[in-house]
Amino acid sequence: MPLTMARSGEPGTVKEIHGKEETRRFLESLGFVEGGAVTVISQMGGNLIVNVKDTRVALSRSMASRIMI
Amino acid sequence: MAIKIALAGNPNCGKTTMFNDLTGSSQYVGNWPGVTVEKKEGRLRTHKDVVVTDLPGIYSLSPYTLEEVVTRNYILDEHPDVVIDLVDGSNIERNLYLTTQLTEMGLPVIIALNMIDIVQKNGDKIDVEKLSQALGCEVIETSAIKGTGSRQVAERAVQMALTGVKTHPGHTFSKPVEEALSGIESLIDGTVPQERLRWYSIKLFERDEKVLEKLELDADGKKRLEEIVSGLEAELDDDSESIITGERYQFIGKLVSQCVRKRQSGLTTSDKIDRVVTNRWLALPIFAAVMYIVYFVSVSWLGTIVTDWTNDTLFAETIQPAVGGWLEAVGAAGWLQGLIVDGIIGGVGAVLGFVPQMFILFFFLSILEDCGYMARVAFIMDRIFRKFGLSGKSFIPMLISSGCGVPGIMATRTIENEKDRRMTIMTTTFIPCGAKLPIIALIAGAVFPNITWMAPATYFFGIFMVVISGIILKKTKMFAGDPSPFVMELPQYHFPAPKGVLLHMWERGKAFIIKAGTVIFVACGIIWFLQSFGFGPEGLYMVEDENASLLAAIGGVIAPVFLPLGFGNWQAAVASVSGLVAKENVVGTFGVLFGLGEVGEDDPALLSMVPTLFATSASALAFMVFNLTCAPCFAAIGAIRREMMSAKWTWFAIGYMTVMAYVMGFIINQLGGFLFYGVSFGIGQVLALICVAALLWGLLRSYNPNKTARKPAVAGAHA
Repeated sequence: MPLTMARSGEPGTVKEIHGKEETRRFLESLGFVEGGAVTVISQMGGNLIVNVKDTRVALSRSMASRIMI
Repeated sequence: MAIKIALAGNPNCGKTTMFNDLTGSSQYVGNWPGVTVEKKEGRLRTHKDVVVTDLPGIYSLSPYTLEEVVTRNYILDEHPDVVIDLVDGSNIERNLYLTTQLTEMGLPVIIALNMIDIVQKNGDKIDVEKLSQALGCEVIETSAIKGTGSRQVAERAVQMALTGVKTHPGHTFSKPVEEALSGIESLIDGTVPQERLRWYSIKLFERDEKVLEKLELDADGKKRLEEIVSGLEAELDDDSESIITGERYQFIGKLVSQCVRKRQSGLTTSDKIDRVVTNRWLALPIFAAVMYIVYFVSVSWLGTIVTDWTNDTLFAETIQPAVGGWLEAVGAAGWLQGLIVDGIIGGVGAVLGFVPQMFILFFFLSILEDCGYMARVAFIMDRIFRKFGLSGKSFIPMLISSGCGVPGIMATRTIENEKDRRMTIMTTTFIPCGAKLPIIALIAGAVFPNITWMAPATYFFGIFMVVISGIILKKTKMFAGDPSPFVMELPQYHFPAPKGVLLHMWERGKAFIIKAGTVIFVACGIIWFLQSFGFGPEGLYMVEDENASLLAAIGGVIAPVFLPLGFGNWQAAVASVSGLVAKENVVGTFGVLFGLGEVGEDDPALLSMVPTLFATSASALAFMVFNLTCAPCFAAIGAIRREMMSAKWTWFAIGYMTVMAYVMGFIINQLGGFLFYGVSFGIGQVLALICVAALLWGLLRSYNPNKTARKPAVAGAHA
């Protein structure tokens, strides 16, 4: 399921990242890699703050929906 | 020969803070990613022949974003003698991703393990020895913000440059990948410098287009390269770039588990704060409350108290009588006394009187930026900005613009989407900058002394203007399209460092003092001259009645333009136009005009004079709104010209702002006067209603740029 549907506080594992090559690369360099852990910290109208590799990253809904967990 | 040291690292890991510390310069530091958009150079304080380059923050050396290209090209083409890789120790796993790429480039690399103070405070432990061995380069613990370790790193870097040691990457990839890489190495061996062989072969493996272009492999080489790459891709069932990314993270993951001991996991204090301040319901009220308090305190409350002191005690009771008395004593000519006392002290003094208020505003803004809250605001605003077609990234320039519009306009460079970027440039100066503060304080104090929310309201009015501009412009062909998705790293909250905050405040405030002493000094001199002299039958003469002055003649020509806005007198017209030089001049001009010697915004004389210029309070409000939103000062217009890189767009931007300002002023004056101040209903009110209708049409009309191009998508969107 897309990251947007994850419940906050529950750790998940990145299964797949959809989207343009550029977008995928950018997300990878930020730490979103297949098999990596990701936890939603806070939600705000579909926009998320997530914990990935101990970094807090803010994602808009369209970006978050490309990350499948 | 000069030694070149480059500072590289992730966004917001403290590069510019260290750069400022090492070189003694004062580049803009902000606690959010992407503050530095261009590389900056400086000389090491302790070794003047060492050039330090501050590079934009990047997450990787792939060529996808502007910052990455700038940094990568610098390292490849400029051959820095040493690279200092700043690694945020509190966030080590992600930061080391870039490190593994930097060490492959065949340059001496030294790691500054930065933010070590936060690591220690969190109770985490990092085994520096082991880290250094595994990565193949020296690691020194630093805390740029506290100034510890920076010099040590620089010293070591200089030594490394002198001895010429090269860094060999400590990490290797899994066997099949290494085999593929050595296959590629043998293909290009001899065509690239030996120390970069590994870097080039990895980039070729990743099918990096820029490198492929540069190396110009022949057809046979290309074919064999493709065989190697696609062979392994088939074997590992992944694309080559992801294979390398995965390998890097695997190496780092293992290394971190060996070298770093974290005391706590789960929700940190930072997360708990985020749960509250980015809460779906509370986020906006909290932001509104914070900005309200900031503007209320710095303009209406504490600001007024401090400014009263500067005006009444410092200027009116001390400086002005002293200077006036001294001029009298030395027998200076009447015109010289007038120029100095009325022109210079009156005009410049009126502006300087606001400096304490500006400092208080900058103090608060610096705290908000430094503690990490402003980065959250971009996230919060993204949700709202997205509704009218801008991303939260556009909010960062607007945050900076609340200090000064020039760096604000420059900060739009991080917005990749060209349409979003243009639109942000056009709207960012709607946010009142520090120089507009005197206008706000003057009108609020003179005309609306009992409305304490006037100053905060101007800030929200700026946001309102941005929002309606966004909606209207997005419905035109020039700007239509979806905003780019928003991704931003959020820094951890931390207690603002007093030194940093004060320095930041001083740097920003200093610019205004310098401006008062230069641009505004000259402008006030000119205004004084024009209002003191007239052109009569016997040529130039000193006038008794200001209305006969040159300034009145010039202002009289412009004034009719502002008649519909309620300030069609030459004084207000001249003040508005002089605001183009610098916005403080609007108040400075009033200071000169009323010839009262020292007049600050709280000077009772000025306060009682200003309202006489306006027919109703609605006209005064229209005057303020027009001056806050019309074309910005020349410095900002210059910045717009540079960032737009087109005269046509620059004129369009300025024209748009001025027209919007005029329309807003017109509506406020006409309808406000009719509704609250007993002005009778006439042609002006009818026209104002037409303006309102036109604005509403611009806001509410449906516009679809893809009417013909993408039918199914449109149908879906309307269903």
